[in-house]
Amino acid sequence: MLKVMGLTKSFGKLVAVNNLSFTVSEGERVAIIGPNGAGKTTTFNLITGHLKPDRGVVEFYGRNITGLKPYKICRAGIGRTFQIVRAFPDFTVFEHVLVGAISRYGPRAQMDLLKNQAENVIQKLGLSAKKNTLVRNLTIVDKKRVELATALALKPKLLLLDELMAGLNPTEIDEYIELLKRLNEEDGITLIVVEHVMRAVMKLCNRIIVMHYGTKLAEGTPMEIATNRDVIEAYLGEGVTYA
Amino acid sequence: MVSRNKSNINSFRMRLFYPRAIRFLPIVVIMVILITLPLYASSYIVFVAAIALLYAIVAAGYDVLLGYTGQLSFCQGAFYGIGAYTSAILTVNYGWSFWQAMPVAVLFVGLISAIIGYPALRLRGAYFAVTTFFLAHFVYLIFLNEVSLTGGPLGFRGIRPPEPIGPLSFEGIANGYLLILFSFIIIFILLRMLVNSNIGLILKSIAQDDVLAESIGINVAAYKLLSFVISAIVAGYAGTLFAHFFGILHPTTFSWFLSEMVVIMTLVGGAGTLIGPILGAGIVTFILEFLRFAPEIRYIAWAIALIAILMFEPKGLMGLLKRMGVR
Amino acid sequence: MIDSVILTQVFNGVILGLIYGLMAIGLTMIWSITDLPDFSQGGIYIITAYVAYWAITLFNVPYLLTIPIGALTGILLSVVFERIVYNRLRPSGVLSCLLAAIALFFLLENVANALWTPKAKIMSVPETEVSINLFGIVTSYHRIIILIVSVLLFIIIHLFIKYTKIGMAMRAVAEDREIAELMGVDTRRVYIATWALGGALTSVAAILVSPLYAVWPGMGTLPLLKALVVVILGGFGSIIGALIGGLILGLIETIGAIYVSAAYQHGFAFILLLLTLSLRPKGLFGRR
Repeated sequence: MLKVMGLTKSFGKLVAVNNLSFTVSEGERVAIIGPNGAGKTTTFNLITGHLKPDRGVVEFYGRNITGLKPYKICRAGIGRTFQIVRAFPDFTVFEHVLVGAISRYGPRAQMDLLKNQAENVIQKLGLSAKKNTLVRNLTIVDKKRVELATALALKPKLLLLDELMAGLNPTEIDEYIELLKRLNEEDGITLIVVEHVMRAVMKLCNRIIVMHYGTKLAEGTPMEIATNRDVIEAYLGEGVTYA
Repeated sequence: MVSRNKSNINSFRMRLFYPRAIRFLPIVVIMVILITLPLYASSYIVFVAAIALLYAIVAAGYDVLLGYTGQLSFCQGAFYGIGAYTSAILTVNYGWSFWQAMPVAVLFVGLISAIIGYPALRLRGAYFAVTTFFLAHFVYLIFLNEVSLTGGPLGFRGIRPPEPIGPLSFEGIANGYLLILFSFIIIFILLRMLVNSNIGLILKSIAQDDVLAESIGINVAAYKLLSFVISAIVAGYAGTLFAHFFGILHPTTFSWFLSEMVVIMTLVGGAGTLIGPILGAGIVTFILEFLRFAPEIRYIAWAIALIAILMFEPKGLMGLLKRMGVR
Repeated sequence: MIDSVILTQVFNGVILGLIYGLMAIGLTMIWSITDLPDFSQGGIYIITAYVAYWAITLFNVPYLLTIPIGALTGILLSVVFERIVYNRLRPSGVLSCLLAAIALFFLLENVANALWTPKAKIMSVPETEVSINLFGIVTSYHRIIILIVSVLLFIIIHLFIKYTKIGMAMRAVAEDREIAELMGVDTRRVYIATWALGGALTSVAAILVSPLYAVWPGMGTLPLLKALVVVILGGFGSIIGALIGGLILGLIETIGAIYVSAAYQHGFAFILLLLTLSLRPKGLFGRR
């Protein structure tokens, strides 16, 4: 469903993403891993329209979405979370997710429909107890959940998650892995995950793309990647979390 | 879902209103006072009240842009003036009736604000603010220099009050005041409905983080333009009322001072609450009037008040400004 | 042989441009180093002009001496504003500071109004009266003074920024404040220096210009706005850009006033702003 072809982006003399190509099929759970600075977040930004590529094409369900404005790409069905969590601080959790629903169905949609949507997502992510808390008063972990909930309220077909697991303890990681699996299998949401937490990647994903200096270094199943010599070399010296 | 329990302070509606039951009482009292004002107050007081209400209208409209969408702009004075002069010119020079001229003037203001807003709103924060400042001054220069059109520094005279509708006459201070009051009530209700609607929620999300808002599928540019045009139209309408109430127009009324005063009213009152700016408008207007013996002192006092508010006001106001402080 | 009138007008345009450039340099430094388009400089412009006026009319201070006096006033006001107001508001974001700057401008304009009445005052300075003819340009000593002072200041500032420790610190902060701080740059001193410089430049510009036009409380708005246009035209943070942008605007205004329209002379700045923002938002020499 997602095709990235020849994607290239430079910042001055620094080539962040270099002729990157890959595809993602519906229903997959793909991880993009690589050392810091490999260009993973930049790739996300290029897909979601936050950055315009110098060269290359992004296709979604056959439609060329390269360089469209972020809100259009979101409407097309691609959702994302950010590496450094972004949320609306002065909304309650409920309002926050509601805005997502409003964006999805339009401001003139039935209030009941919107509220139900929001309630469902909030419940799914275990935020019901904190429904009326101001987002600014939440812990970072909860803020991330709100961010994810809002993204889900938009009913995306493809979800890009940028370092969702960062800073979580093992129990939380496992919970998330379960949640993401359910979202993928029950709700049919395709996932692309950028992660440093290897354990999560190995357990969750059925395909891994390894990036290094902006290019695709390797691609394959978790087993293949774990035994790939180039990948191991690239990671030597990097602090990879084997949580 | 809406809780009638006064102690449930976390209910999201409560953040916007005071507890429902208590809320209605002061408003009713104030409404009664305002409506019956001409009966017992002197013409002078009624006049000042009318001006205060006009500013309240402008401030409320401006709050949609500043308080709810987080865009700092300095051209509401310009739109107020364009509304005023357009209506004045159409009625005095071309013999139109107020009721024909006013909608045209308001539409004209809307058009201009859309044309300007479309490119201008692509600018971020400070650049946008500076551009609107320019615009306000430029419009002021037009008012000042196009003597054939606006009468320039000599003023534009002879503007008549709106023509009567049936038995309703709008001549005289009391009737003019009532028209303004009526307009204020209607506009307030409409704006209130807007900011409490889903669209209002979208605007508030843009004020807090417009990048995130765009990421969740909101057409930020369109909504920014919408709130810009709405605040302009409200100001323009107030301008037409002003022209036909005051009877004379002078360019100096519409200098960037006016825009600055609207900003002061909105911030002093408390942006993002709709009621705040209205109160701010009332307070500022009345104090400005009663300090008329010391003309410059009043402006100095307000400038200091604004700076003091910015510096010392509790997190509430600062928090809002922090939200807008996007580089 | 080029017409003397045209030469004179071009020269006047250059003079005007130099003044815009002076103010713009101050503003672009303040904006690029402290992130604030400092509207209060407009107020400082007004006050220092009046101070100079007072010095001349009440104390018979010679014109040339009022320049350093005014500069000192400007420095004082700028630094006080920075320490008392902007410093406290910085954590709340740029727009808070911008509002405060505008409020200060508002304040100073009304203080001038209160102290000196709205009536315009003429700053009569002997140097303006003598008319001289230089290579076909009809001008006065005063304008020559403007020329010399401006050029001198440009050179001094250029050397200052390039070769002194503080100058280099200022450039570092303008490039990237966080990294500069990590490298041990004392941002407090840099800020004070920046504001002092900005205030000085604005005041000198004000005093240089005052004998040409009247001194009145509203005199600050247009120069401020035009200086901002020059900052954007020349490129955010670029001193050369401010100078060249200023010259461009000065020439366009002067020539345009003759051949296009005198009443909307000030409109050229607005058009220039719109053109710059739509075609080349970075400006001529801008980096950001």
